[in-house]
Order: sequence, then C-alpha cells, then structure tokens
Amino acid sequence: MDFNAIETTGLAKTYTSSFGKKTVSALNNFTLQIPKGMIFGLLGPNGAGKTTLIKLLLGITFPTAGSAKILGEDISNFKVKSKIGYLPENHKYPAYLTGGQVLHFFGSLSGMTGDNLKTRIDELLKIVKLEEWKKTKVKNYSKGMMQRLGLAQAMLNDPELIFLDEPTDGVDPIGRKEIRDLLIDLKHQGKTIFLNSHILSEVELITDRVGILNKGKLLKEGNVKELTARKEEYKIRFESGNEYLLSPELMEKYSLAKTNDGYYSLKITNSNDLDKIVDELRAKGLTIRELVQQKDTLEDMFISLINEAEKENKQ
Amino acid sequence: MNNIWIMTWYTLREAMARKVFISFLIISALVLIFMLVIFGSNTSIDIVAGMKNAKLNLPMEQIVSQLELLIISPLTGLCILLSIFASASFIPIMLEKGNIDILLSKPVSRDQLLLGKFFGGLLVVLLNIAFLVLGVWLIISIKFSFWNLSFLWTILLVTFTFAILYSLIVLISVITKGSTFGMMVAYLIYLILSPVLHLANNNIDMFTSSTVVKSVVKIFYYIIPQTSEVSGTITRNLALGNAVDSYQPIWISLIFLVLTMGIAISVFRKKDF
Ligand SMILES: Nc1ncnc2c1ncn2[C@@H]1O[C@H](COP(=O)(O)OP(=O)(O)O)[C@@H](O)[C@H]1O
Ligand SMILES: [Mg+2]
Repeated sequence: MDFNAIETTGLAKTYTSSFGKKTVSALNNFTLQIPKGMIFGLLGPNGAGKTTLIKLLLGITFPTAGSAKILGEDISNFKVKSKIGYLPENHKYPAYLTGGQVLHFFGSLSGMTGDNLKTRIDELLKIVKLEEWKKTKVKNYSKGMMQRLGLAQAMLNDPELIFLDEPTDGVDPIGRKEIRDLLIDLKHQGKTIFLNSHILSEVELITDRVGILNKGKLLKEGNVKELTARKEEYKIRFESGNEYLLSPELMEKYSLAKTNDGYYSLKITNSNDLDKIVDELRAKGLTIRELVQQKDTLEDMFISLINEAEKENKQ
Repeated sequence: MNNIWIMTWYTLREAMARKVFISFLIISALVLIFMLVIFGSNTSIDIVAGMKNAKLNLPMEQIVSQLELLIISPLTGLCILLSIFASASFIPIMLEKGNIDILLSKPVSRDQLLLGKFFGGLLVVLLNIAFLVLGVWLIISIKFSFWNLSFLWTILLVTFTFAILYSLIVLISVITKGSTFGMMVAYLIYLILSPVLHLANNNIDMFTSSTVVKSVVKIFYYIIPQTSEVSGTITRNLALGNAVDSYQPIWISLIFLVLTMGIAISVFRKKDF
C-alpha cells in the first residue's frame, strides 16, 4: 500500500492541429511524485498545461511520451477510476436531468447502486447545500450551483484521489471559503487532492505542496513553506528603548535597516551566521524580542520564477 | 455490460426529453385513435365489402396485410427521417467539452460509452416503431379477425434500416464532433443514393452498355448500404408473407454496419479530448 497517489515519468503531450501543420507542446518531460494524503496544488498561468496534465492522468487525452501511474495503477487501466473523482474546469451536465438525477447517472457509472447511492446523493447534496435544488433541472442552475453540483459529483464514489480543475472558478467568496473547508475536511479523511489553480493566494491557504508549471515545464516543486521562505532575510524586533545600543557600525556590518513597522531587517549570506549575529547583538546589551524569517507570498515567488524562465527562454 | 446498459438507458431518457421523438409518438397515437374511430363505426365493414363487390376478389389475408402496409409505410418513412434528425446530436452532445471529460473519468471504457449511445438510439427507434406497428396490427387484426403475424417483421426491419444509417452518423460524429455532416450523409443515402443505385442496378442495361460504367454502378451499389431495399421491397415482402427474392441487401448492410461501428470504436479509442 506504500505507493504514491500520482507518479509521472517524462510525461509529455504535443497537440497536433487537424492538418498536422501546427503543433503545441502543452506538457514537457513532466516527472513528479505526489504522496498520498496531501493537498497538492499545481499552479501556472493560463495555457501552462495544467488541464492537460489532469486529462493525461485520467485518460481523456493520451501522452505523446512518458508514462504515469495513479494509485499504483498504470493510467491505461480504466478500472482504477472507480477510486477517483474529477471536477473538470468547464463541466456540463445533461440538461434534461435534475441535480439529483445527474448524481444518480454518474453514481451508476461509478458502479454504485440502490439505496447506497440514494443515501449518498442526499448526503452530498446536503454537504454542498443543494438539497432544495435536488429536483430542479440543471439547466436552471447558476454558475455557482453548477460548481457545487460538480463538487458533489466528484465526491460521489468516496474517491481516494480527487482532481479539481479551478474549483473556485465562478464561486463567490463565501462559497470559496466553504470549498476550502471541504477540501481540508477531505484531507483529514485521508484523501489525496490534486488542485489546479491560477489563484495563488487561495492555494497558499490550503495546499501542502505546490508545483509551478509554465509553458508545459515544471519550474519548481516543493513544500509551500520552503518555496516561499526567503532564506537569508530576517526581521528582528528589539526591546523598546534598547535600540540606541545599535551602533552605525553594527548596522552596517549586518546590513540592518529599520523598517516602517519598527522592525529591523537583517540580511546574511550564510544561515549558520545567524547564531553568531544574535550572540554579538546580545553581547552589546540588546534584548531580542522577535526574530522571524522573511517570507514571500506565493505570488511573489511565482512571478519571479516565471520571469526568470522567460528570461532564459529569450537567451 | 452494465455500463453499456446505463448509457443506453440514459440515451433513451435524453431522447424522450426531445420534442422530435415525443412528436412522433403523438403522431402515432393520433393515427391509432383515428383508426379506432373509423373501424369502430359500422361503416368500416364497407371497406372489405367494397373490395369484394368490386370483384377484386382478394383473399382476406391479402386485404388485411395490404391495408396494414398502406397505413404503416408513410409513417415508418417519417419515423426514419425524424429519428436521423433527432439522433444525430446524441454523440456530439456526449463529446462536448466538460461532458466527455466527466464520462471518461468514470470507470467506464470508451467502447462501452459509444456502444451505449448506439444501442440507446436503436432502442428509441425500436420503441417508437413498435408502438405504431403493434397498435395498427392490433386494431386491424381484431377488426378483421385475421392475425397477420408476418406484419410484425416491419418493426425489426425499420429499426435495422435506422441502425445502418445511425452507425454512419456515429462514425462521422466521432470524427467531426458535430452533427450536421453525419445527418446530411444519412439523408443523402436514405433519400437519394440508395434508391437511385437500386434503380440503376436493376435497370442497368437501359442506361448504358459501357462495362466500365456498369462496374462503377455495381461497386457503388455494394458499397453504399442498401437501405432502399431493406426498408422497401424486403420489408414489404416479409410483411405480406411473400417470399423474399434475395436477402443479400440485408447481409451487405449488416457488414456495412459492423464495419462502420468497428471503425467508429477504434477512432474513438484513440481520440484526444
Ligand atoms: N485539444 C487541444 N488541441 C490543441 N491545443 C490544445 C488543446 N488543449 C489544450 N491545448 C493547448 O495546450 C496548452 C495548454 O493548455 P491547458 O492544459 O488547457 O492549460 P491550462 O489548464 O494551464 O490553462 C495551451 O497552449 C492550449 O492552447
Ligand atoms: Mg486549465
């Protein structure tokens, strides 16, 4: 049972237009392992290849190179999908069905039957707050309701692994918060969640790990905390009335600079120096009240990464 | 198997949500009600009496089955025309972005999805035709106390005619993801190519003496499914209980259907969405 939820090796997809003239390299030599039980966020600007990756993993599109496994099974085995849930980015449901019937249809296709399916449908409609809309035709649903129905559809078969493509698209802020809470809840149930998004601030709030994708290339992958940490930058706050002890020489030595909020920023070249600096400051009689590592937002990191990649492309 | 059945069942439901199929059911129902009114009144006996008086001297079974066919024929033609129109969008709707994505994320094979849609279309037409034919058959059989069982062949043959055309619609819509082209080709074959080739092949010597032209006509005659004969002479002969000259059009059309669906499935298996 000790396998990754998702494993890809050199996965690639090149779309060829119908006339074979133009090709688009949507995904390039994509290798990644995602362990079970976490929320993974794949970030990237529009057209980066995020949707393509999910489609490859689900057998909706076929790779031009490489291979992949989900839940330990090769992606060519369609049976593994009984343990998978998926919310596509622009999902459509048979317009002639009601919300309840849509769930019944997809539930049946997932192999669910009878009372088991019926109770599950009611349970999910309640979770996504659509109980009262169960008997309304989906063609009368609003965008936000469609999104919530989509989430219910994706969770129907109690999947081990859930793919969500831009799940908060078209959802109001309260709905977004509800979706985030729902995803955290699912994680606590031991599910693995794979999330595509271009809304970084949101992903930051719930994901354990993120990958940054640009033009089909995985630029970076890692823990959100690690990725956003600015390694050599700290913020220090001294005991008030203590600061006069900071001599200009000392300030210069460690390039300490006072910031607007009463903190001092500290830049070092080697993190091992931190202890030494603290010792020296304390030896001067300064009392340190706070020392924090500076952080980028995911967005800062993202923008600088993409810019770097663009520069490299030009060279 | 179960997955195919689920797809078939929901295709039937999708069809029933369409005005076209419901309209046809209503037309059928009106025809049946009209027949009940006519044959329910005493005047109706006059039809048979009239035929007898006119010294047509047809046997009862001939009168009954001719009458049945007379009522049915224009309606089955209409049924096929409407069914082509209504079913041409089954596959394109399934292939729409956002819809196919969800279907393919379920533990269902692509073969099952496509076969389910195919059988779903057939089931709709089968039910529509069965309702009409059985209704007409029951009313006339009770009225004249003559049960012409062979008339029921029409149900199968009309459905089969539709199946041939529908397989082509399925193939074309898998390739183009649209409904227009498939629909046009189906109409072209059913209304023009098949009847014309049938006629040309039967009277080939009247048109030309060139062996090249003759072979070209022959080749097309065998390549294009022979819906004109299947839904025309063969249906007629079987319904009347007559001998059928040749079942060859059935076999050739069946091979066409199986090949077309085979190609459709193999194209669908490799298709990116
Ligand atoms: N079916 C397709 N045919 C041709 N090109 C495609 C197709 N799907 C996606 N692409 C192209 O592949 C690239 C990646 O698209 P996509 O995976 O949808 O990106 P994202 O989800 O990150 O916005 C884009 O340049 C897009 O235009
Ligand atoms: Mg996308």
